[in-house]
Amino acid sequence: MDKAPIPISSAKQPTAKQPNKSPSGWKIIWREIVRDKVAFISLIFLCLVILSVFGISLVLDQEQIVSVDLFSLKQPPSEQFWLGTDYGGRDVFGQLIIGTRNSLSIGIIVTVLTGLIGVLVGLVSGYFGGTVDNIFMRFVDFFMILPTLMIVIAFVTAVPKYSIVSFSLIMTAFLWMGIARLIRSKALQEKEMDYVQASRTLGSSNLKIMLVQVLPNLSSIIIVTMTLNLAANIGLESGLSFLGFGFPESTPSLGTLVSYATDPQTLESRWWIWLPASLLILVLMLSINNVGQALKRATDARQRKG
Amino acid sequence: MTKKKPVNARSLFFPIMMALTVLLAACSSGNGNEESSPSATTETATPTSSASASPSASETPAAEDGLYSINDFSNVKKNEGEAIKGGSITFGLVSDTPFEGTLNFNFYSGDPDSQVLSWFDEGLLTWDKSYVYTNDGAATYEVSEDGKTFTFTIRDNVNWQDGKPVTAEDWLFAHEVIGNPKYDGPRYDSNFTNIVGMAEYHDGKAKTISGIEVLSEKKLKITYIQSTPSLLTGGVWSYPLAKHIFGVMDVAKISASPEVREKPIGFGPFKVKSIVPGESVVFEKNPDYWRGEPALDEVVLKVINPTTIVQQLETGGVDLVDSFPVDQYPDNATLSNVEFLGTIDRAYTYMGFKLGKWDAEAGKVVPDAKAKMGDVNLRKAMWLAVDNDQVGKKFYHGLRWNATTLIPPSHPEYHDSTNPGVAYDPEMANKILDDAGYKMDGKFRTNPDGSELVINFISMTGGDIAQPLAQYYVQSWQAIGLNVQLEMVEFNSFYDRVGANGEDDPKVDVYQGAWSVGIDVDPSGLYGKDAIYNFPRYESAENDRLLAEGISEKAFDVKVRQDIYKQWQKLMVDEIPVFPTLYRAVLAPVNKRILNYAIGDGTNLYPYQIAVSQDKPFVKE
Repeated sequence: MDKAPIPISSAKQPTAKQPNKSPSGWKIIWREIVRDKVAFISLIFLCLVILSVFGISLVLDQEQIVSVDLFSLKQPPSEQFWLGTDYGGRDVFGQLIIGTRNSLSIGIIVTVLTGLIGVLVGLVSGYFGGTVDNIFMRFVDFFMILPTLMIVIAFVTAVPKYSIVSFSLIMTAFLWMGIARLIRSKALQEKEMDYVQASRTLGSSNLKIMLVQVLPNLSSIIIVTMTLNLAANIGLESGLSFLGFGFPESTPSLGTLVSYATDPQTLESRWWIWLPASLLILVLMLSINNVGQALKRATDARQRKG
Repeated sequence: MTKKKPVNARSLFFPIMMALTVLLAACSSGNGNEESSPSATTETATPTSSASASPSASETPAAEDGLYSINDFSNVKKNEGEAIKGGSITFGLVSDTPFEGTLNFNFYSGDPDSQVLSWFDEGLLTWDKSYVYTNDGAATYEVSEDGKTFTFTIRDNVNWQDGKPVTAEDWLFAHEVIGNPKYDGPRYDSNFTNIVGMAEYHDGKAKTISGIEVLSEKKLKITYIQSTPSLLTGGVWSYPLAKHIFGVMDVAKISASPEVREKPIGFGPFKVKSIVPGESVVFEKNPDYWRGEPALDEVVLKVINPTTIVQQLETGGVDLVDSFPVDQYPDNATLSNVEFLGTIDRAYTYMGFKLGKWDAEAGKVVPDAKAKMGDVNLRKAMWLAVDNDQVGKKFYHGLRWNATTLIPPSHPEYHDSTNPGVAYDPEMANKILDDAGYKMDGKFRTNPDGSELVINFISMTGGDIAQPLAQYYVQSWQAIGLNVQLEMVEFNSFYDRVGANGEDDPKVDVYQGAWSVGIDVDPSGLYGKDAIYNFPRYESAENDRLLAEGISEKAFDVKVRQDIYKQWQKLMVDEIPVFPTLYRAVLAPVNKRILNYAIGDGTNLYPYQIAVSQDKPFVKE
């Protein structure tokens, strides 16, 4: 066997003092997004939405927005109510802002939490392999065969009162397996790489190899999956709320706003209640997906645009 | 006795289907559209409940301020054009679930089934606008001096749809089946135990019911243990059961038999031609109907979803429906091809306070002196704090309106319109709470003894308005400093927690419910101390006395009975175990081609008279 030193030119090798430096992961990602006009616009739009929603909701009084006002039921858009009011006399614009914030928060929390759990489980399982892998994967199998959506609905019905955090936890509990599987398969590949063997030979601890050496090499795939998951999770939350298993009307979310459209009268003659929320969901999803696709390309040299 | 069932807070049509089915007594045909009986003394078709039946009533009640009034509706369809011979109409049964299909008055339990039943079967007795039995139906009756013995005579031309006569024997047989311990329907109740010898028969101690006697083929005599005015308003079981068909069956198996489910039989104006279980029924006319040959050739009944009513009406997919959600009315008031009929519903929405528990063994309520809501000042303040007038106007466009007493205006003889109830006055509410010692501590008030006061309020989900409405009440109470916590609960578990099975949830303090009341005014099934549906678990000596007097012999005098129930309504307004929030209107859109049609009681119109002015329904222009 050729016991040559670790190939120093490996792009994946995190070396700072490389003279002929190949671009870092972040640079590639950035370049890819800037080159792709659609993804770039999507990213800017996303940032704007997130900033404005979280910014405006700081000054809005949620209690006042969700309180019923008998004297302004079902009003069309006006100066006072930019997007009119619903059948409880509640300002739709305020609900839209707070609803978007709630939906986004849940999406982000769930994505981060599922990401953390998934990466941890996948990494440990893939890196150690063998029995550890076997045990972990049987766990994952078990969770995977559960009818997730039904259980989430049952949980939500059983828990009488829940907040954004507890709702996110319920969703997280059943959504971390996909990412764990993915990371595990990547980690299985990665641990066979020469740099891992070398590092091990040099006496690095397993923890250090996993977190400092393997993990950074998986970061691109993690970022891509989590971005795409974000869209899926926001969609899931909105879907549950739409069906009536998400938040009550006193905690607006994009789903509850869309669900007003189940009333034929609202659907036909009061578009301002449900159309903005529906459009927002559509555009948010598209944007996140566009960015996600760009990220995905960035991780694969053959597909890159730049 | 009364027919009652909990109904959903938002609309009547949806909940009845899901309503606790056991509660539906068979006298419910009065709830049906055309089964209303005529009154010999009423010369016109003026309805009791709807004030204006004048022909000048505008077609679509104008509402410039967005408000409507039930007084602007007629409950009788205006006739336009000449009737054509024959014709077929489509009746929409508004439901988002299939109908169950127990198609016999002696066994059915849900309102959808009764809607199907009322086309092909009917009771032997009919009643007038004040719900008292008349002699215009398929049978006539005479009451003995002491008011305990009834002698019925079935008309000679009343025949089952297979040609066999309806006999006194059939009527007796219905009593025997319902009294049989193996009977699996919901009908055996105090109306039956009030028949002499029924309890012994039910317990198996007697082979026959001693109080019921067949005098001849068409004559039946029933003797009751106690004479009460309720006997004349729905207290007699008037639905015979065809003995030549069901007599050979095991009682426990009748309700599942094909003669109940697939090819049901009756003696009404139409007979069942075909059934698609749960979805639709096709009726054809019964040319031998005892009142005369029906004008229509065919009636098609189909289940339609509440969300598609308007579309179905616009396109003529249905000619009429059993009920229409009032919150959809303002957007559709000007539908060009239908006329909206309206009448006052025998129902009210109310706010209940839990004052005790249910003792299942003793079968009675046990008031709890230390109940959180035990202080009448607190309850009164909560009533004062809510503006039901505005709720009715804003949420329901005037088609539900502020309720004052626990006997709704659908019983005009007994509803005390001089009793103003408790009107909205939040300042007064604050004052009462201040005087009673509920001090403000921060944002909310405490109990007089200084302990924290958190009131748990539950309300039903279902319908658009349910949530904002419940939330409005919470806001109103919070505005007078009461810390009220709202929980929205699904219909069935709502009534479980309120105590429909006797297991009251101790965490519930206040609830918003609704009752659909029976044709008899007697409220003891809802507020008597031994009624499981006395959800507030309220009891007082005065209440017991008035309820007992209301069905005593001296209450046969309508004036006396009115006075008793006037006192009772006042007692309820003073003691407030529950307070009524809204009375309701029923709306029924009808295609303009339909003639001779009315809803409610006391009209002179029967289903056999329904006709059409043209072959096809009018469609929206």
